Amino acid sequence: MNPFPATYRRIFLPVAIAAVLVVLAGCKPKSSGTAGTSGHSRTTIQNKGSDTMVNVAQVWAEDYKQLHPNVDVEVSGGGSGVGIAALIKGTIDMANASRDMKPEEKAQAKRNTGKEPREFVVGYDALAVYVHKDNPLTEVTHEQLADIFAEGGKVTKWSEMGVKMPAGQDEIVRVSRQSSSGTYEFFREHVLNKRDFKLGSRDMNGSKEVVELVASTTSAIGYSGLGYNEPGKVKMLKVSPKTGQPAIEPSVATALSKQYPIARPLLVYTLGEPTGEIKNYIDWILTDAGQQIVERSGYVPVRTGTAKP
Amino acid sequence: MNSAAGHVLFVETPAVRRKLRQEALAKWVFCAMAAAMVVPLLLIVGYLVVRAAPSLNLEFLLEVPKRGMTEGGIWPALIGTIYLVFISLAVSAPIGILAAIYLNEYARDNWFNRVINLAVINLAGVPSIVHALFGLGAFVYAAKFGYSIISASLTLAIMTLPVIIASTREALASVPQSFREACWNVGATRWQTIKSVVLPNSISGILTGVILQVSRAAGETAPVMFTGVVFFKSIERGDLFPYYLNEQCMALSMHLYTISTQVPGVKESIPYATAVVLLALVVMVNAAAISLRVYLRSRQKW
Repeated sequence: MNPFPATYRRIFLPVAIAAVLVVLAGCKPKSSGTAGTSGHSRTTIQNKGSDTMVNVAQVWAEDYKQLHPNVDVEVSGGGSGVGIAALIKGTIDMANASRDMKPEEKAQAKRNTGKEPREFVVGYDALAVYVHKDNPLTEVTHEQLADIFAEGGKVTKWSEMGVKMPAGQDEIVRVSRQSSSGTYEFFREHVLNKRDFKLGSRDMNGSKEVVELVASTTSAIGYSGLGYNEPGKVKMLKVSPKTGQPAIEPSVATALSKQYPIARPLLVYTLGEPTGEIKNYIDWILTDAGQQIVERSGYVPVRTGTAKP
Repeated sequence: MNSAAGHVLFVETPAVRRKLRQEALAKWVFCAMAAAMVVPLLLIVGYLVVRAAPSLNLEFLLEVPKRGMTEGGIWPALIGTIYLVFISLAVSAPIGILAAIYLNEYARDNWFNRVINLAVINLAGVPSIVHALFGLGAFVYAAKFGYSIISASLTLAIMTLPVIIASTREALASVPQSFREACWNVGATRWQTIKSVVLPNSISGILTGVILQVSRAAGETAPVMFTGVVFFKSIERGDLFPYYLNEQCMALSMHLYTISTQVPGVKESIPYATAVVLLALVVMVNAAAISLRVYLRSRQKW
């Protein structure tokens, strides 16, 4: 009467068997020892964390694959907090962080996994303060930034900064980051002196989005990594460490010489002393090749001179 | 008498003319609203394709992202999405279809089955970000699958399951009850009836429902982002089997999100081209579903 039932039977069993086989074959045996089952052994390194570092980490993974085709590095972002949380749970191999792991986080990791997190400084980042390209302001002091961004800070209007804005745009639009971001933590700690942020800021989910919002909003001010500068659309302000001291231009050179006041280390954490491919990977990150990628991405390499070919 | 009444009935009075004018007006208003639905679709597709044009070629599909994802193609994301969609539907389709058969063909109206029904309806209403958290807790942490394609696929499977159950039930319910009764009356059991009468007559609706879930599974970002899709993973150009199932992968939806929010200096046409590929994938799958339905429908006997 109809051809379907027979077709089912003919198709269903092979498909089901094939599906089970695919799933079994598809799982990579955990690399415990070197059981010579197949010719090539692949190693996967899971790397997660800071949105600031995600682009550098991505280029590291891309270039490392060219040199070591048997090592796959999986890179994901989400924020320093997300990476650290995953490291504490023991679900990843390397956490990228643009802030220090707090002592209680280290203790938690030790409790959960039995291993002490090991820290590597892989570069430095200068946080730049961005305004719209038409904003006449060229420099800002550490105190003024705290007054603009911190809870209880007095400055809410551009006129209070001595800046004349077109009518109706005097209100300062503060562009900030989501609270899982290491950039957010660092700015809070080092610029706001651990005070909270004023309510009503625009909290963006990525470093790039901060710069984009500032580029499209005349009355905005925001902070983001030096590497996210878009010349011609936004302007980076010079920052003076204290009122009365000269304002320093954010750049790789001034961050490296520690003149520029808002700079921070970029960190990689592993669980315990890294071994095997993870150790090789971190060692490679700290070589000239890895450090050149740091500099090309707009960050500051670890050692002076390392980035010179 | 009759002819006189007819004469009075069909004369065009002012009231009738007004009525006809209103009818015409109503028809045009409704038609314009329906036509307005097409405008945003054409605008979206047109805009995307125009912006994407410089990058749209076969090389873009097969190449891996290059130079910090600012150039190159989308192969790892494309193949990752295909992995996720296939595996999630391979899990959710059998479970969903079998559950729907039970609910529609066997279940009596008692409290137990009402609870199942309620669960299905509520599961369908759970926001995808909640599924994401559930997947993270259940598959990544509790089941110890880690961040992996398996975790992400199972999360997507749970998300698509209730919709597959609902669409399958609808397809089963559209088979006339008299077909079943005829079969039972010659002594067939319920399972024999289902196998030889109900399923063959509802297969088009069932498959359509399953295939339409492809677009949902391919488009979701949150559930896979939490459970097994990465920002970047380096694989070989054009490699058909680049991922192990207990590793993480890239996916189109997530890739589109990251290159448009995270990566500075991306070639302008690349995000648009990625969107076009995602859209084309979904449209192609839906078109396949529709043509399959038309084909099977043409063989139906009522």
